[in-house]
Amino acid sequence: MTFLIAVGNTLRRDDGVAHRVLELLKPPAGVVVRSCHQLTPEMAEEIASADTVIIIDADVAPGEPRLEKVEERPDNPLTHVVRPAELVALSRRLFSFRGEAWLCRVPGIDFGQGSGLSPATEANACITAELLLRFLG
Amino acid sequence: MAERILIAPVTRIEGHAKISIFVNDAQEVESAMFHVTEFRGFEKFCEGRPFHEMPGLTARTCGICPISHILASSKACDALLGVEIPPTAVLQRKLMNYAQILQSHALSFFHLSSPDFLLGFDAPIEKRNIFGLLAEDPDFARRGIRLRKFGQRIIELLGGKRIHPAWGTPGGVIGTVDPSERAEIATGVPEALESVKLALGRMKTIIDSCPDEVEHIGNFPTLHLGTVTPTGELEYYDGVIRIVDGEGNIVADGLDPQRFHTYLGEASEESSYMKFPFYKPLGYPGGMYRVGPLARLNIARAAGTALADRELREFKHRSTGAVNQSFHYHLARLIEMLHCVERIEEIASDPVLLKTRVRAVAGQNRNEGVGSSEAPRGTLFHHYEVDDNGLIRKVNLLIATGQNNLAMNKTVEQTAIRFVNPRALREEMLNRVEAGIRCFDPCLSCSTHAAGQMPLMLEIRNRRGEVLGRLARR
Repeated sequence: MTFLIAVGNTLRRDDGVAHRVLELLKPPAGVVVRSCHQLTPEMAEEIASADTVIIIDADVAPGEPRLEKVEERPDNPLTHVVRPAELVALSRRLFSFRGEAWLCRVPGIDFGQGSGLSPATEANACITAELLLRFLG
Repeated sequence: MAERILIAPVTRIEGHAKISIFVNDAQEVESAMFHVTEFRGFEKFCEGRPFHEMPGLTARTCGICPISHILASSKACDALLGVEIPPTAVLQRKLMNYAQILQSHALSFFHLSSPDFLLGFDAPIEKRNIFGLLAEDPDFARRGIRLRKFGQRIIELLGGKRIHPAWGTPGGVIGTVDPSERAEIATGVPEALESVKLALGRMKTIIDSCPDEVEHIGNFPTLHLGTVTPTGELEYYDGVIRIVDGEGNIVADGLDPQRFHTYLGEASEESSYMKFPFYKPLGYPGGMYRVGPLARLNIARAAGTALADRELREFKHRSTGAVNQSFHYHLARLIEMLHCVERIEEIASDPVLLKTRVRAVAGQNRNEGVGSSEAPRGTLFHHYEVDDNGLIRKVNLLIATGQNNLAMNKTVEQTAIRFVNPRALREEMLNRVEAGIRCFDPCLSCSTHAAGQMPLMLEIRNRRGEVLGRLARR
């Protein structure tokens, strides 16, 4: 089973691009989808039974949309920010997650207040949806 | 030469803050101060918006306790409409509040504070976090995550999503509960109860093992303020305000939350963006009071649920008057979690929850409205004034963490005097100062109406303001 998590705030414009990717993607059967504002610790249990977890998130760095393996670096004292690395580490250690974990970075340029994506980020959302469809086979 | 030690940013709390510790010429801690360094301005930018947008707008104040803002805001809007909302809407709002308090308290206890308790205040800093905890006791860490998930799941079932649900609205709520959702909630109760009981047992052992921290981290008499039922039981959604003093005597009772501004004042200081509320009859700063779990247990005669009542009776025996040790916020938080799970079970078995009339419809009938509720960290007030077109003219948010501001400052000072030795400064001394702040589980995003995470910085300064030493971590 593949678990897709779209992360972001749709009221901070391009920060919500992950949700747009999910709209465009129309995930194939067998793919579980979750949209969220931010990652939270309890997701560690939800992703545990997945073979593959893909976390889609906006990226402030310029470039092309890309997939990269999530590296476990549990060095965050875990205030109210849970990063992909910590989520995966929690899931592996507490809930026996044994699958692969990927971070899908979608570059954005406008993270100001407001809704709707900038044209460049809308284009990146389309590219990302195609990228993920190919990845999901 | 007098010096100042600055802890900035403070870690394992919600928001940005720093702590200054002032050292006298004899190299002893003389005083300390807690500064909140964020500002957002919700009260200002909400002006001009239609009042029915307020539950959604003010929910964005915080990602941890948006439900509290939705509730207080919706109640303020109910007051503007002048309506009594349907019983099912009341039940949904209560259920949502219990779920939110449960998940927020679970985050505070298991994720933010228990590393100190279970790994030790003196444990290496790189171990003193949730990952250190899960290496030490994975079952305990797992239970903490699942407990929070239970609360979050209820919020999701009722509101459609876990954070910032578009659910509360003037006159009621949006959406109904179906039998399968009610059954799912009920199914989660036994494990939640077991986990809270386990944590309670552990906490009592921890208290016995650290008497120095219990006695010297924020142990002083203050007023305690919160909401109770008219008969004096714990109440989190709707009731009257009661205030007790440090001896446990009732100072004021039956106060109308709608008129909070007549008995609560708000001072400000240049050192912090957070306001300094006080009880008006005793003036500023003499009218210092505490809110939240410790205060709620101090003001309540009884809990009103079987398991929590037993724990509350035992809790009250920890002192002859009010329980004034801020360290006992943690224990109080766990007792509240027990109470919340019991109340969740009660509401989940109430057939009224499934009724479909969840909103009273009316136009604006008043130009001023106040809403209040008990948020995880204490009593929350929203006060709105609107024009005849329903546009917001004035907003005042009196936030729980802000109401603890004076007590947090006193806690920081007392803790620093007891545990910080400026001549041989060590990280674990600073951790105890932070632990004093964490007793209150402050949500600074809410209290300054501010963004971001909350690490801590400590700085030493002399009286001339010169920085003589600094310790920062993120």
